[in-house]
Amino acid sequence: MKKTVAFSTFTLKVCSLLPALLLFVAPVGAQRFPKPDFESGYEYPELRYAMPSEQLWMLVDVALLVALMSLVAWAVVRRRTRTPVVAASIISVAYFGFFRSGCICSVGAIQNVALALADSSYTVPLAALLFFILPIAFTILFGRVFCAGVCPLGAIQELVNVRSYRISKALAAALGVIPWVYLILAVLFAVTRSSFIICRFDPFIGIFRLGGDIGMIVFGALLLVAAVFTGRPFCRFLCPYGALLSLFSRVSVWKAKITPSCISCELCHSACPVDAIRPPYANKVKESRQHGVRRVLRYMALLPLMAGAGAAALYVASDSLSQTNKSVRLYRMVAQSEVAPQDELSPELEAFYGQGGTAQELSLRVESIQADFRRYSAVAGALIGVVIALSLITLSLKRTRKTYEISDAACVSCARCFDYCPKNRVKATESRISP
Amino acid sequence: MKKKIFRNIAIVSAIFTVTFSIMLITNYFQVRGFNPLQAEVVETLRQINDENAGNLKLQEQIRQLDLLARRAYFVRLDHLMVGVYILVGMLAVFVVSLRLYYAKEKDIPGRQVSPADDWATKTRAREYVGWIAGGLAVAALTLAFFTTPFFKSGTNASDAQHATVAQAASGEAVERTELADMEAEGTPLSAEVNDEDSGGSGDDSVAVKEGEMKADLAEASASKPGVTHNCFRGNTSNAISPARNVPTSWNLATGENIAWASKIPRHGFNSPVINGNKVFITGADEQARELYCYDLTTGQLLWTLAASNIAGSPAQMPETTEDTGLAASTVATNGRQVCAIFASGDLICADMDGRRLWAKNLGVPENHYGYASSLLAFGSSLIVQYDNSKSPKVMALDMATGVERWVKNRTDKITWSSPIIAYVNGQPQLVLMGCPSITAYNPGSGEQYWRVEGLSGEVASSPCSAAGVVFGASEYAALIAVNATTGETLWTASDFLPEVSSPVATESNVYLATSYGVLACYDAKTGELVRSHELNTEFYSSPVITEGKLYVFSNSGTMFIYSANRDFSLLNSFDTGQKTFATPAFTDGRIVVRTENSIYCVAEKKQARS
Repeated sequence: MKKTVAFSTFTLKVCSLLPALLLFVAPVGAQRFPKPDFESGYEYPELRYAMPSEQLWMLVDVALLVALMSLVAWAVVRRRTRTPVVAASIISVAYFGFFRSGCICSVGAIQNVALALADSSYTVPLAALLFFILPIAFTILFGRVFCAGVCPLGAIQELVNVRSYRISKALAAALGVIPWVYLILAVLFAVTRSSFIICRFDPFIGIFRLGGDIGMIVFGALLLVAAVFTGRPFCRFLCPYGALLSLFSRVSVWKAKITPSCISCELCHSACPVDAIRPPYANKVKESRQHGVRRVLRYMALLPLMAGAGAAALYVASDSLSQTNKSVRLYRMVAQSEVAPQDELSPELEAFYGQGGTAQELSLRVESIQADFRRYSAVAGALIGVVIALSLITLSLKRTRKTYEISDAACVSCARCFDYCPKNRVKATESRISP
Repeated sequence: MKKKIFRNIAIVSAIFTVTFSIMLITNYFQVRGFNPLQAEVVETLRQINDENAGNLKLQEQIRQLDLLARRAYFVRLDHLMVGVYILVGMLAVFVVSLRLYYAKEKDIPGRQVSPADDWATKTRAREYVGWIAGGLAVAALTLAFFTTPFFKSGTNASDAQHATVAQAASGEAVERTELADMEAEGTPLSAEVNDEDSGGSGDDSVAVKEGEMKADLAEASASKPGVTHNCFRGNTSNAISPARNVPTSWNLATGENIAWASKIPRHGFNSPVINGNKVFITGADEQARELYCYDLTTGQLLWTLAASNIAGSPAQMPETTEDTGLAASTVATNGRQVCAIFASGDLICADMDGRRLWAKNLGVPENHYGYASSLLAFGSSLIVQYDNSKSPKVMALDMATGVERWVKNRTDKITWSSPIIAYVNGQPQLVLMGCPSITAYNPGSGEQYWRVEGLSGEVASSPCSAAGVVFGASEYAALIAVNATTGETLWTASDFLPEVSSPVATESNVYLATSYGVLACYDAKTGELVRSHELNTEFYSSPVITEGKLYVFSNSGTMFIYSANRDFSLLNSFDTGQKTFATPAFTDGRIVVRTENSIYCVAEKKQARS
């Protein structure tokens, strides 16, 4: 009986750990647990291990990434057409999303790179490095073509989008701060080796994997429902990599442009799902120039203060933040266990003591982690302060636009505006007619 | 027409998707909550099978049920997965039909919600950014509130953790239990004392200022490397040791696992304490009262300090009974000073190298058996429970100077038990047994927290605590569990009660050893007797728990090791051949035992060599 139970337990464990086993069994080549011995004379089939193919898949991943970005760049910058962007979105969602289960992705690669920069003992996987760098390189050249339809997170929102109901421009502008805060916190937790929060809280990963944390799946589903009626809520108000790319897209060499023969029909402006097209605006001054200048100067003066306040705030919160680190949590468990010993040790404590761990050794490690947290939290807080101050400064600048303009930072190169532009259609028709 | 069809498809698929999502989520939680390996029916049958081994029919039935439970589990998982595929498909149908419905309806100009006034938009956006910044600041401050002493009246786990960790980093070793105590429970940083009831003069009433308390707390965690056992039954005197790799068998006759053994120059019933590589005990007779320091590794007597030339010390030693003697009180150390007290009332403190720092006579205690309460070190304070028939009191002295920090007169009758520190909701409480009460004080000021009556007779057993509950027992009275937060009695029990030996508690159970040879385990929450063992022996030594095992010596010298859980099963027992009344001291890989006339150290051979 016991053997039957043991076998069942073993089978279950194997089933549940199958993905992990596929990765680890082959190189290790040894059984972690002894096999049950069956009285019935059952013989185990010979184990066959699949050859590792990660290298091959990495090549396919990178090649497809480059190919799709090139396709979108060609479609957006050269052809000014949307169809290839939609095609790229479908391929991206199918391949990077469902087939590759949303991993690896450029958004999460930020953390690998940040950790590698902070910790020389960590070697960033080549795929992660390329997935981080290549979209940035393409952004510098062609704008945010990666966001257009190559990123599976953006692509799935793009595909489900039916209507583009606008949310308040003021609110959208303010919410634009959040991706930066998320980016800064993600880097903080990565460099302290605590957690890759971008991966952990990826709202679409559960959808791509058709399973996972129920909370995140529900969150992802709600985001998708929102994406049906408004353009890319995740990209605009959460995506940390999007925030980073928006920085580079400001200086991109070739990018999506308003047609030179614009007739100001407003169609592109209305069509843009991310509100990246700014209509002509005559700056009707409602306050004196001196007042406006003073405000900007005031925010500039506030910038170092806000940086300092942010640094101080996160510095004092660093102990709480450090609780995300598993060693810090373990230390707390060890401490509690030693004050009020339990009859049964938790698996974590059993593993800790089983490996000969001592509270003293752990305390030294925790001290180092908490010191890191204090240092990096202060930097992160300062950066958040700077982001908020810069947002306020940017929102205090007055500009006059005589024509429609594309906000390079906000534009995700989805090419929807080209679909709407009557001049663009005429041009396309002409190009088809002309020999 | 087509448009209508697409609209209807979109509506139907939307309704289907929502309904199906709810069903799937419900099913998900059902599957998640079900573990086929712990199916209730199967578990029950397994238990029956365990009790009646050999019932082949039953076993076959269990197998079948087990298989069914597993099949049901995996079928549910399959259904869940199929459901997910259907849901994804229906979502796709919804999105596609919606897109087709709107295919020819382009967004037309003039639908924007925001005003076209760019400047007004920016002005409002600045407001929103201000709100976001405020929200972030509130979030950061909320997080900080939970960890920063600046925002709180006392420290919490993290603060203490910082203190102890900082000490560890600065090269000072941190003892595990203290570290844990400080970390998990925290201690008050400010306590001002205005001891109006103190027996001393106004000048003697020492106001313990915040800085002083901080120093106390900091010192509470400072000691030598490794696990220390600074007082009777460990650092807080709760008989829980964090020591690891402690031997579970030894033989004095063959020398198996015996690192060293040494004769003690003078008699005593006090227990050894360990700090770093030093072991302290005392011995006394009519001729001299002495404090001994042994090398933990070699057993060499490093130094002896005589409690002599003390002002007020009686020329004639007080009369004591044979089973108490002049040196029944265990010494206490904080890693910087070590202090000892004798039945004559002589209290002496030395540094760790045996240099006398100060000594005083507290007045010869009127005690018909002999003074027996052990000292307790709490940071830089030395706690003395000076119970006697004439003027019972408890006091805190500066271990380095002997200056009295506070003193509190007690109304209870004389006892022979020892003080402990119980950490309750992050605050240390000094808990004393008395007759008829158990009383808790602020160890920084002597202020009384609570008092619970219920003891009687001659109280020699000391209290113990776990998870905010204090347990105290005396023979012919009761075992009392007190909620140390409120001072309310949680329960009492009287099945088996100790006379001399003190109980030890975990969050789940309380264990005690009686002088008529019963080892008993009570449920810490209810007081229900969980299990008892009648061993036909006598226990004066107190049980100590380490590594989930309960170690206790009988008076005849038999070591009993039981599992410290509800099984409370015997793991090992063996006769050491030497009468043992003292409670052994534990550190990593070693146990130091005081017998009637000697002291020896138990260590695995490799430990002993190291």
